Amino acid sequence: MNGLCADIGMLLWPRLLPVLRRGRSRSSRGGGTRLAVLGGVGAAFWCGLFTVAWRVLRYFKGIEDIGDILAFKLLSMILIVCFALLLFSSILTCLSTLYLSRDLLLVHSTPVASHRVFLARWIDSTADSGWMVILFTLPVFLAYGIVFAAGPGYYAATLLSLIVLAASASALSALGVMAGVMLVPAGRMRSIVVILGVLLFVTLYLAIRLSRPEQLVNPEVFDTVMAYVASLQAPVSPLLPSTWAYDSIQSALAGFTAKSLFHTALGASFAVTLICVLTLAADALYFKGFSRTQTASVRLIRRDGISERLFRFLPGPARSFTVKEIKTFLRDQTQWSQLFLIAALVVIYIYNFAALPLERSPIQTAYLQNLLSFLNMALALFVLAAVTARFAYPAVSLEREAFWLVKTSPVSLRTFLRIKFFIYYLPLLVLTEVLIVATNLLLQVTPLMMALSTVTVFFVVPGIVAMGIGLGAAFPDFKAENPAQAVTSFGGLVFMIACALYIGVVVLLEAGPVYWIFMADLHGSALSPAVRLWAASSFAAAFALSILAVVLPLRFGEKRLSRMTI
Amino acid sequence: MIELTQLTKSYNGFTAVDRLTLRVGQGEIFGFIGPNGAGKTTTIKMLGGVLAPTSGSVAVGGIDLQAEPERAKRKIGFIPDRPYLYEKLTGLEFLRFTADIYGVPVSEFQPKATATLEMFGLSDWSNELIESYSHGMKQRLIMASAVLHDPEVLIVDEPMVGLDPLAIIMVKKLFRKLAADGVTIFMSTHTLTVAEDICDRIGIITRGRLIADGTAADLRREANATEADLEQVFLNLTTNGPVAES
Repeated sequence: MNGLCADIGMLLWPRLLPVLRRGRSRSSRGGGTRLAVLGGVGAAFWCGLFTVAWRVLRYFKGIEDIGDILAFKLLSMILIVCFALLLFSSILTCLSTLYLSRDLLLVHSTPVASHRVFLARWIDSTADSGWMVILFTLPVFLAYGIVFAAGPGYYAATLLSLIVLAASASALSALGVMAGVMLVPAGRMRSIVVILGVLLFVTLYLAIRLSRPEQLVNPEVFDTVMAYVASLQAPVSPLLPSTWAYDSIQSALAGFTAKSLFHTALGASFAVTLICVLTLAADALYFKGFSRTQTASVRLIRRDGISERLFRFLPGPARSFTVKEIKTFLRDQTQWSQLFLIAALVVIYIYNFAALPLERSPIQTAYLQNLLSFLNMALALFVLAAVTARFAYPAVSLEREAFWLVKTSPVSLRTFLRIKFFIYYLPLLVLTEVLIVATNLLLQVTPLMMALSTVTVFFVVPGIVAMGIGLGAAFPDFKAENPAQAVTSFGGLVFMIACALYIGVVVLLEAGPVYWIFMADLHGSALSPAVRLWAASSFAAAFALSILAVVLPLRFGEKRLSRMTI
Repeated sequence: MIELTQLTKSYNGFTAVDRLTLRVGQGEIFGFIGPNGAGKTTTIKMLGGVLAPTSGSVAVGGIDLQAEPERAKRKIGFIPDRPYLYEKLTGLEFLRFTADIYGVPVSEFQPKATATLEMFGLSDWSNELIESYSHGMKQRLIMASAVLHDPEVLIVDEPMVGLDPLAIIMVKKLFRKLAADGVTIFMSTHTLTVAEDICDRIGIITRGRLIADGTAADLRREANATEADLEQVFLNLTTNGPVAES
């Protein structure tokens, strides 16, 4: 047992050291500010979650008869979602940590038994997949404790139950992954899991959205709500680890310590049993699966010369980077899932406008439709910012360690960034214009609003894409195992804040003049010279800002990238 | 063809390359040797335009690399020591990518690519994704892409790392042929026999400073080891040389 613990400790130590030494290495100096900003945003999000949860639970508590039922149902749903999230994120981290990490070749060459290597990596993976879910559900459980005036036993039981839940989910995922890798190579399996996960999410989301949950607040369907409340009391499956966690937390909330301990022990015994089974299975299967991962992957689709033919008209460097970017994107199956997500996003976005009950609004319909159209412009631009964050922001980081090819090529960094900009600008412009035009058609807005929103979007999209490319170049991570996650870094945060500010300022600049122009248009009256001047200067300022939003981030990115040592 | 003038690179107070002045003529193969951390790769990176010098200059074919980087890089073929490539492209697609960047005419690409892939023994793998290549195959592909646009200067960092003996022989022959055709080759290496076999001139760098420069015979004389092999000369110069003593 001592040997086992020593081996596991030894294998975990190099993974732990970078976390402990953060900020002390030469490369991470100056990271204190980043850490403070990220910590601040995390803390604000944590506090926000707590506030929302506290207010909702206090509201529930105030409802006679069904208040507690609703609160406990919510708790049960939170735990099921937590368990599902833990399962899914564990599958991905298990695949990476156990089969795909770059340091595995070195680790497997050490004189340590493969099941010990497995256990060390599994602990690493469990911590990796679980910490964020646990950290960001804690405010909700804290709110439960405060609203239900629970004792210290509740907090201990909750923390223990969440850790047990994370361990069970991770062990189940590891078992599944180990079996799966024997059938499909790990690299391919990750793609399959991501695609299936996204498809499942999209299907569920579409199903929930298309069932029009907003009708639950419509008095005409109140009978349905009562039937729903009755169904709340139906028990969930007693075989789910999330149910044991729920039973434990709910008992602790109600002050039944012994009952809570029993359910925690039930969950813990399941987790320990799973870990024993996992260790036995790892001894037999882990190394075989890892060996299979070392074999070369086979291309799924072989015939593709379309990109070269399609972009033959472009000059050499632009053609080479465009073709490379498209091929790399299409051949990375994990990227496909993002396309499904975007398709679902577009459908839901447009459907939301089709389902708006404008006719029941007490506000004048024409005014409301055009007000919504204006707000929709801002909303569509925020959607664009999110999509840009996922695709354009990591574009430079996605060059990975092959970035030396760009640095040694006779193409300047300015040209390189401009090529990247245009590769993403065109599809993102089309996406945003489709969103705007389709929703405006559904809202039946005036030609003035249609023109205003399409033109505004036309001028704002380049700014957002340029900020994505420029800030992505200013804060690149060429060594990340998954550069697509670069957006969760400090630079990604700067990008999102910059986008929010930019969109906010443009909307504010346009809001006043647009209101007066719209009202004059609606009443058929002429605009006063003062309003004309105001409108002209506002639109000119928005236009100037859009030009700066293109030029400045690209220059900033170029400057930072040229100073970077690779 | 290559001219380094007072080339210096410092990082956080540490001088990796210290006032390096050197000239390599057309068609010459210059070998750059030195112990680990001596400044070889830093020099190579500055020559390739990957790294900006702290001071001093690099001129390639009379073109200042800092002043006109794109023009200068058009003349260079760069081969790094680690073969990082776009893993989701095939070998042939990667060659097309570099050909487009360096402006190889479309009509010339196919015959050139076929010949180059054949020369580097990659014909059978040309339509496979690079992610399925071995380390040595990736290294060969980088070499193929570096010579595809007929560079006037070849900058090579550790050319033989990861190559099998057959490929090493082929690369040595290729370098000699390229030099005979007027291509200037600047290569760093740890393999002293390679340096002795193919280099016209060898420079020894230690602690960022060039401590010796000349033919293998010149270096032997300088190290007072006329009968010794290059390994002994290297040891004499790097452990007792003027910089080591200071």
